[in-house]
Amino acid sequence: MNDKAVLSVTGLRARVAEEDLDILRGVDLTIRPGEAHAIMGPNGSGKSTLAKVVAGHPAYEPTAGAVVFQGEDLLELEPDERSQAGIFMAFQYPIAIPGVSIANFLRTALQARLGDDEELDLFDFQELLMERMELLDMDPSFAQRPINDGFSGGEKKRNEILQMAVLKPALALMDETDSGLDIDALKVVAQGVNTLRKENPDMSVLLITHYQRILNYIIPDVVHVMYKGRIVESGGPEVAMELEARGYEEYRIAHAV
Amino acid sequence: MSRLASAPERADSSGAEDQGQIEGASSERATKNVARSPGGTAAEPEWLTSRRADAWDLYLSTPLPSTRSEEWRYTDVARMLPLDELAPPVPELSGPAISNGDGPVPEPLRRAMAQDRDSAGRVIDIDGSAVSVELQESLAAQGVVLSSLSEAVRSGDPLLESLLATRAVPASDGKFAAMNAALWTDGVFLKIPRNVQLERPIRLSRWVSHPGTATFTRILIVAEDHSRVSFVDEILSPDFEAVTLVNTAVELFSHAGAQIQYVSLQRMGKGGFYLANQRTLAKRDSTLDTLNVALGGSVGRVDLNARLLGPGANSDMLGLYFGDHDQHFDFNTSQDHVAPNAHSDLLYKGALDDSARGVFRGVIRVHEGAQRTDAYQTNRNLLLSERAAATSLPNLEIEADDVRCSHGATVGQLDAESLFYLMSRGLDREQAERLVVLGFLGEVLDRLPMGGVVEKVTKAIEVKLGHVR
Ligand SMILES: Nc1ncnc2c1ncn2[C@@H]1O[C@H](COP(=O)(O)OP(=O)(O)O)[C@@H](O)[C@H]1O
Ligand SMILES: [Mg+2]
Repeated sequence: MNDKAVLSVTGLRARVAEEDLDILRGVDLTIRPGEAHAIMGPNGSGKSTLAKVVAGHPAYEPTAGAVVFQGEDLLELEPDERSQAGIFMAFQYPIAIPGVSIANFLRTALQARLGDDEELDLFDFQELLMERMELLDMDPSFAQRPINDGFSGGEKKRNEILQMAVLKPALALMDETDSGLDIDALKVVAQGVNTLRKENPDMSVLLITHYQRILNYIIPDVVHVMYKGRIVESGGPEVAMELEARGYEEYRIAHAV
Repeated sequence: MSRLASAPERADSSGAEDQGQIEGASSERATKNVARSPGGTAAEPEWLTSRRADAWDLYLSTPLPSTRSEEWRYTDVARMLPLDELAPPVPELSGPAISNGDGPVPEPLRRAMAQDRDSAGRVIDIDGSAVSVELQESLAAQGVVLSSLSEAVRSGDPLLESLLATRAVPASDGKFAAMNAALWTDGVFLKIPRNVQLERPIRLSRWVSHPGTATFTRILIVAEDHSRVSFVDEILSPDFEAVTLVNTAVELFSHAGAQIQYVSLQRMGKGGFYLANQRTLAKRDSTLDTLNVALGGSVGRVDLNARLLGPGANSDMLGLYFGDHDQHFDFNTSQDHVAPNAHSDLLYKGALDDSARGVFRGVIRVHEGAQRTDAYQTNRNLLLSERAAATSLPNLEIEADDVRCSHGATVGQLDAESLFYLMSRGLDREQAERLVVLGFLGEVLDRLPMGGVVEKVTKAIEVKLGHVR
């Protein structure tokens, strides 16, 4: 591990484009290479918004602050440029794309990383895809299914992690990937993430979750509590344990307006 | 092969100057043009000469469809189609090199043909003349007949007199049906004898080269009991400065237990005005499936009427269109359930970019006594630009009580969440759009068993989306 931040968010404020109210109200967050961070917080506190702003969702408009990824100003980049730079967001609610198979999609995504001058080796691709599906305990036929079309909640989450495993990001934002997974599926997904981190010790993870459960498998270096668009507390894994026991009541009192 | 050479003079010629136009604003000019009617040679049998003459009379007495009529409300032919400026495709234009059958095949058509996988036979039609007809010998030996329409008429096959422009697309079916019945120059006749099943498709490869002309082609396919055939009708042209009309009549007859699959690939260039009247007549336990792909031309209007005439008949009706610039596609479909226990399923999907326009009007008609009908109709449109527009008018007319019918129509925009999802994996906006569009249209192609067509259409769509690799 080195000390240079892979992601540094400072004073970030953001709102839904064209609307008055900021959802993120001054977020500060620094993630170093190889670290795993968790963000917990009640519904509506802005966790997904933070992930989407980092990934470049066009519905949100940063109004102040900065997001720097590996030394580069992220807010200047299109979503596809951010992805190619090494950011991956596993969606809380993955989108269905009828008629487009997972295999075709991932092939196109990898080809896009190579650019026009280089042709993706289809044999290598097939091998990578099969290996990744095995890692995540998925049936090979899954790759031929249209993206998220008619998938169960668990299948959608697993599909997100499959894409992550194929694209091998430097920073993975996992937005409630654990919600809706049974304990066996959760273990498989967590193992997949840990395998990726072993392959690339510099890979960083930001886990957004409501439950301490997943943190037993992906041990976080830092746990943050987000409340009303701000990170109000950061600490070690014990923060998650305390939250599990006590809930958000004390934040509600401390940050009552 | 050109049959345009010696149109017989008609006695009522008014003496107006010889303009070679198809229809004048005045009746004098129009009457005069009968004399220039490109259809008909001295050698034609009497039944055909009189059928043409009757059709021409009907053509003259039928007013041009106006936007006041429900069926033409969104396609203003009076404005879009300058009928009195169109010239008939006179033989001098085609030239001897092409009309003798050994002439060069235009390069774009040659390329389109090279993409085709194996075929059982092929007709090449240049400017409304079939210049080459090829059929696998083994099929000919089994009694399969594939010939140019003019040759079929000469051969004296009685099917021509009984079926050509009579039961399927008669002259009485409207202005453009009459026009075709009077003026057709050539086309294809295909007959599959009883029990003969073709594994590979028969292809018609058409090319139109002359701007400002009008071409009239007919396709007549008869599949006898328990036979099977698929037919791919592809048309290409260069871009034209002047509106260039192609009027096609397609008459498909499937007898008991037979299967016909008809595919139209409309890939004309700019300026092309493609009009087609298609009728499918399906008898007992037969399957008569169609796919209309509209990618080219400036205007495309297809009138498809599927008639389920025998119990157990089945028609899958697929359509796919992708319009950009100011392309205008108009589909007018009907599913006529005359017999009980028949099934029809229509799915038309279109993507529209720039200021392209799509119109779909479809009706399921369940006639009295057509009990236990299963009939479905779906039209879905994807708008890729704010200027694009789609109109969808599904309809049901049901006169039987024991039926299962449904219809549905949607017009949707390209979804920003879908685009973001794909872009968040590293696809640029164009690539993301391309996947969404191909995925959307792919539902239609997935239902088509024929491999070569899927690849060709996918490729053509990719070219339109600007992703030629
Ligand atoms: N696209 C949007 N349009 C309107 N309001 C939004 C949008 N996205 C988020 N919000 C609002 O912002 C707040 C934070 O939402 P979100 O980031 O999804 O919270 P979390 O993920 O922590 O549950 C909520 O009040 C939510 O309603
Ligand atoms: Mg959320």
